[in-house]
Amino acid sequence: MSLLAILAPVLLLVIVLAFVTYAILFERKVIGWMQNRIGPNRVGPWGMLQTVADVFKLLIKEDVIPEKADRALFKLAPAIAFVPAFAVLAVIPFTETWKFTDFAVGLLYYMAVSSITIIGIMVGGWASNNKYALLGGMRSAAQMISYEIPLVMSVVGIIMTTGSLNLNDIVHSQKHVWFIFPQIIGFLVFLIAAVSELNRTPFDLPEAESELVAGYHVEYTGFRFAFFMLAEYVYVFAMASLTTVLYLGGWNAPFGLTIIPPIIWFILKFLLVVFFLFWLRATMPRIRVDQLMQFAWKVLLPLAIFNIFLTAVLKEVPGIGHFY
Amino acid sequence: MVLGLVKGLGITLKNMTKPRVTYRYPDEPLKMPDRFRGIQYLDPEKCIVCNQCARICPTDCIQLTGKKNPDPEKKGKVLDTFDINFEICILCDLCTEVCPTEAIVMTNNYELAVYSRDELFKDIRWLHENNQNIRSENSTNLIKKPGGKTT
Amino acid sequence: MLRTEEMLLNVGPQHPSTHGVLRLIVKIDGEMIVDAEPVIGYLHRGTEKLAEDLNYTQIIPYTDRMDYLSAMTNNYAIVHATEQLMGLEIPERAEYLRVIVMELNRIASHLVWMGTYLLDVGAMSPFLYAFRDREEILNLFNELCGARITYNYMRVGGVKWDAPPGWIEKVGTFVEYMKKQMRDYHALITGNEIFISRTKGVGVYSKELAIQYGLSGANLRVTGIDWDLRKKQPYSIYSRFEFDVPTGKTGDLYDKYLCRMNEVVESLKIIEQAVNQFPEGGSIMGKVPRVLRVPEGEIYVGIESPRGELGCHIVSKGKDKPWRLKFRRPSFYNLQILPVLLKGENISNLVAILGGIDIVLGEVDC
Repeated sequence: MSLLAILAPVLLLVIVLAFVTYAILFERKVIGWMQNRIGPNRVGPWGMLQTVADVFKLLIKEDVIPEKADRALFKLAPAIAFVPAFAVLAVIPFTETWKFTDFAVGLLYYMAVSSITIIGIMVGGWASNNKYALLGGMRSAAQMISYEIPLVMSVVGIIMTTGSLNLNDIVHSQKHVWFIFPQIIGFLVFLIAAVSELNRTPFDLPEAESELVAGYHVEYTGFRFAFFMLAEYVYVFAMASLTTVLYLGGWNAPFGLTIIPPIIWFILKFLLVVFFLFWLRATMPRIRVDQLMQFAWKVLLPLAIFNIFLTAVLKEVPGIGHFY
Repeated sequence: MVLGLVKGLGITLKNMTKPRVTYRYPDEPLKMPDRFRGIQYLDPEKCIVCNQCARICPTDCIQLTGKKNPDPEKKGKVLDTFDINFEICILCDLCTEVCPTEAIVMTNNYELAVYSRDELFKDIRWLHENNQNIRSENSTNLIKKPGGKTT
Repeated sequence: MLRTEEMLLNVGPQHPSTHGVLRLIVKIDGEMIVDAEPVIGYLHRGTEKLAEDLNYTQIIPYTDRMDYLSAMTNNYAIVHATEQLMGLEIPERAEYLRVIVMELNRIASHLVWMGTYLLDVGAMSPFLYAFRDREEILNLFNELCGARITYNYMRVGGVKWDAPPGWIEKVGTFVEYMKKQMRDYHALITGNEIFISRTKGVGVYSKELAIQYGLSGANLRVTGIDWDLRKKQPYSIYSRFEFDVPTGKTGDLYDKYLCRMNEVVESLKIIEQAVNQFPEGGSIMGKVPRVLRVPEGEIYVGIESPRGELGCHIVSKGKDKPWRLKFRRPSFYNLQILPVLLKGENISNLVAILGGIDIVLGEVDC
């Protein structure tokens, strides 16, 4: 048991790294197809080793630290950004049996830990001593803090229904109806806020290439840069998992198709969310920074609060009350 | 309010099923149309050393010298040296246009990258050996067809 | 009291969205632009000075490299000015070929603008779609004149090549194809709420300001001024075609986008008519002396390039080379208004406004 306790996280890390490797490839492929291109196909069959080659390139690159940078913080920032990204995975239940903890406040833990990454990004932007990085870091902090609130508020509806912050309980209570249906407003708010939390198009302002060149990691090279990218894609993994768990019924099989193992269901739903993120990236322009803030505070937050109110009201309505 | 975004998502999804439009270059060389302006081919036999190509060249990249015809029975000059400096040639096609004998013509060869600048200096031998994919229509200035009309 | 300081931000010449080697020295207060100063000249090659040492035919390939997104119109500017000064007559067939290639080039240029502009505001796919469709035009040009960007197609007195067999039909097919594609573009971009919110009401300037700064092209028309040299000072055979001049209402970036997209539609109309009227036979080269000696005098001609009024001013002393050659490059004049537009804007509007002007650095620096 104790051996498993050590091995399982290592295994998860390997799985996550494999996911990141192929998520990047998949992303590039999907966007390529959507743009009538082939996508990467030069390294390995079907481009399978493209990301491996890219990471290898980053590893053997010179590690440049700008002369005027704050060296200690500059080195620390990628780690601060990455560690929470991996730590949040602890509370995600992949199936009934494949899970690490049965944490009573799992959802809260996720939200709390994931916001530590902002510090890493801000520190990175600050320590680089570059104006673009600074602007990117500041934007990032403002954006992630703003969107954290609707993100948390949007899941309150679910918490009210299940009466628990435990992600396992949340999945269990979706045996019959996934929360995406009764909580459709909450789901939309959650999805938008999640995309923003992930700094992905159309909310990729912190690293807006056409404006800020690369945003907070403009001065990072080699492995430190890879860490930022890794953190970002691990968050894609985590957020897609969380969306699956919260709204898409986790490992529960739809239409009673229990013949397919739960992990497959989980992966399918998970991939659907991931695909959606890539699809968005292929389609959307970038939202402007002031509009982004207004959108968070003036649209998403009221909507999320309205969703809480609606859930509370509908809970008491006979007939449909049991859905809430 | 979000109809436009949904429509856009539809367009990108639709394009996902469309055929790819990218070329397989460099796995498969690109086939250029006949008129494509690649690096020149030179036929020293045809050249009458009129120097028109060197004069029309906007970047002065052509250098040529002639010598007296070794065959004493024939008049005129024959080509001695002919160099094109491909560091500055802009492939504008003017040299082939003015050539009265189609001695210098364009080819469809476009792979011009080399590892050293020296290799960009193309001499008479190189240009003569570059005899693949020669363009079929060239000079608008042929001696036999006055008026300067293309066929 | 907290004291904040302004910050100087150097944008370019190596920046992903300065469309080449433009450098902007931007003074920002937070994310607000206080002042902006464009620095140009990184791509200056001295075309005008070089031209004084080149004869008229030799100048043509140099003009290809000014506005490299629409080299055909540049070609036309120089040959048109020379022809006017020499009083040459251009064969019908050559005129039609010229109009077709110029309008195709206008579409290609606007497609690049549309694609890169959407890239500036963060959307990736439209760029690839625009280049996919532009590729069709470039292939047509490649077939016609043997080059995809630097055409060197027009000659004083006519054009270099006649249309190869089947080329005109291919152009007709392309027009039909492009009309279909326009629907996709409108569905993907025009109605996109994020795009609208980023461009509506941004970068507005008045008619008066536009005229004061000598703007031309879509940058002028977007303020509602109906000024298109193809209509106002018809050159070539443009008076034979029916087309509208799209103008804007509000003068914001969204209007500019619509204006340019509608210009593509109008160009398609012109090409369609030109293809239908295309003369059967005839020469493509007028009666031109072997050595071009332009009579003494000077002339200014302005033509409507995709970016605005492209003027060519030749001063001739009766030699085979111009004594002085001056190009009025629309991008250069249009860029002048940038600092005025940027003042007080958010930094994320910087690229949107700069992109909206549609500059080509090869032309700005000449």
